[in-house]
Amino acid sequence: MIRQLATPAKISTGLLLSFVAAAMFLWVPAHEGLGNVGRIVIVHVPTGWLTCVAFLVSALYSLLYLRRGRLSDDANAVAATELGLLFSLLSTVTGAIFAKVVWGTFWNWDPRETAIAVLMLIYAAYFALRTSLVPGVRQRRLSAIYALLASVSVPFLIFVIPRVTDSTLHPNCAILNTPNCAGLALTADGRIQGQVDDFRLKLLDVQESDTLLTATIEVRDPASGTLTTLQPSFDLVSGQPKAIERVPDTLREVQIKRVSGTASARTIEVALANVGNIGLLTDQRTLITFLVSLLGFTALFIWVWRLRALLLGLQAHVQGWNA
Amino acid sequence: MRHFFRAALAVARKDWQIELRTRYALNAMLLFAVVTAVLVSFRLGPLGLSRDRQAATTLAVLLWVAIFFAALNGLSRTFVREEEMRTAALLRLTTPPLAVYLGKLLINLLLLVALELLVTLLFVALMNARIAQPGLFALTLSLGGLGLAVATTIIAALVAKADGKSALFTVLAFPLLLPLLIVAVETTEVALAGSGWAQAAPGLRLLAAYTLAELAASLLLFERTWES
Repeated sequence: MIRQLATPAKISTGLLLSFVAAAMFLWVPAHEGLGNVGRIVIVHVPTGWLTCVAFLVSALYSLLYLRRGRLSDDANAVAATELGLLFSLLSTVTGAIFAKVVWGTFWNWDPRETAIAVLMLIYAAYFALRTSLVPGVRQRRLSAIYALLASVSVPFLIFVIPRVTDSTLHPNCAILNTPNCAGLALTADGRIQGQVDDFRLKLLDVQESDTLLTATIEVRDPASGTLTTLQPSFDLVSGQPKAIERVPDTLREVQIKRVSGTASARTIEVALANVGNIGLLTDQRTLITFLVSLLGFTALFIWVWRLRALLLGLQAHVQGWNA
Repeated sequence: MRHFFRAALAVARKDWQIELRTRYALNAMLLFAVVTAVLVSFRLGPLGLSRDRQAATTLAVLLWVAIFFAALNGLSRTFVREEEMRTAALLRLTTPPLAVYLGKLLINLLLLVALELLVTLLFVALMNARIAQPGLFALTLSLGGLGLAVATTIIAALVAKADGKSALFTVLAFPLLLPLLIVAVETTEVALAGSGWAQAAPGLRLLAAYTLAELAASLLLFERTWES
């Protein structure tokens, strides 16, 4: 039954991924704020998710190997780790391209970038350990033990460290509430300087009429180091931001979210939002392509993983006969 | 249970005595720490850093670099020696695996405490490091050191089985310890600059949680490592 389904499954995987490759550029509209570079999310996010899945599978089969000692469990674990490394590389490269266009740098040690870099190091070390040992029971056992030890540090990297460090460029605020998510409060007399993501903001001046408050804010772009002075304003009657100013050469914009205090001592809450401030997947075509891409990449992962595990298993058997 | 802890203590005492006779690990670690501190203080000595706004950050990073790499120089010895002297089999026959692990952990902790004391003294003397919050500093160093000892002990057991390929030790330990080191550096920075306990609390909690998780994993996995 399963064997009969294998060929149609492979063909549909090919079709799904061909659809994604074509739709990404032809069918999906350019993102309102980010423009064409927004398309990369269709590859970037699914490969990132699959990295986590692959390493989870690797830890699972390592545990099974230690329990049952079957050659196939070890082969499954190794194949999953190899694919995890491959997918993490894809995710990192696409992410770096996106970061260069949108944030100005390929790499800036944002917590998620740190996490994926350490993930890659951990699993590179897995192969360093594995290749340094003579093939055999001890090699398989020690690599399984290391894979399990390593999997302990992964949740810390993905879920805990982003909470403690307060600089991140990834849209974390929906999941993790880092201190800067709400924006930044600047007061005319007290705190006049602060940081949102890697952008440094400085309040220079506040002008106020009966209905309108205009703040003069100096913004330092972390990529180029250039200083620009922006003048976002706030409608005091309606309580809504009025002028929203874009930081030149970036896709971020400064707006005043809230104003409190009296005219003599104002606290101004400033937010630095992505241009358009809309999610990447709000568009329906983008969402559909994204989901198909997720499905396609997952199917591809399962297919290659099974195949590679089969080959590794055969190799181990042959080595076993020769020994 | 009493027998078990006595066995663990006996393993630690045996290793301590061997260590005192050969002083291999102690010499390797402490000299590495001295060399690092001297090298760093040439340029970043009392005058080099005192005018720097980011002195606390620089010092915290250098302190942990010195501790981490010096520790990696010595901490694998306890297990590698058992394999080299062919005493591992005997130990396996006479002592329960977990007692071996705890004994080795204890001896590594002792070595690490000596190392951290020396590195701190050197940094205070050579770099004119001012520790604004000594209590917090000591707590961070103890928690970070405990985590370091827990993780390196199990990795040392792994590496010893890999025919003592000591170059592997750093490669395997570094990614595993990176989360711990990142947080330890940040918390040490708080202690050096004296920004207060409230700032350090999340970091301290994380250090404790990480150490506990690694300890649990080590206790579960050590028997498999030791007996393969």
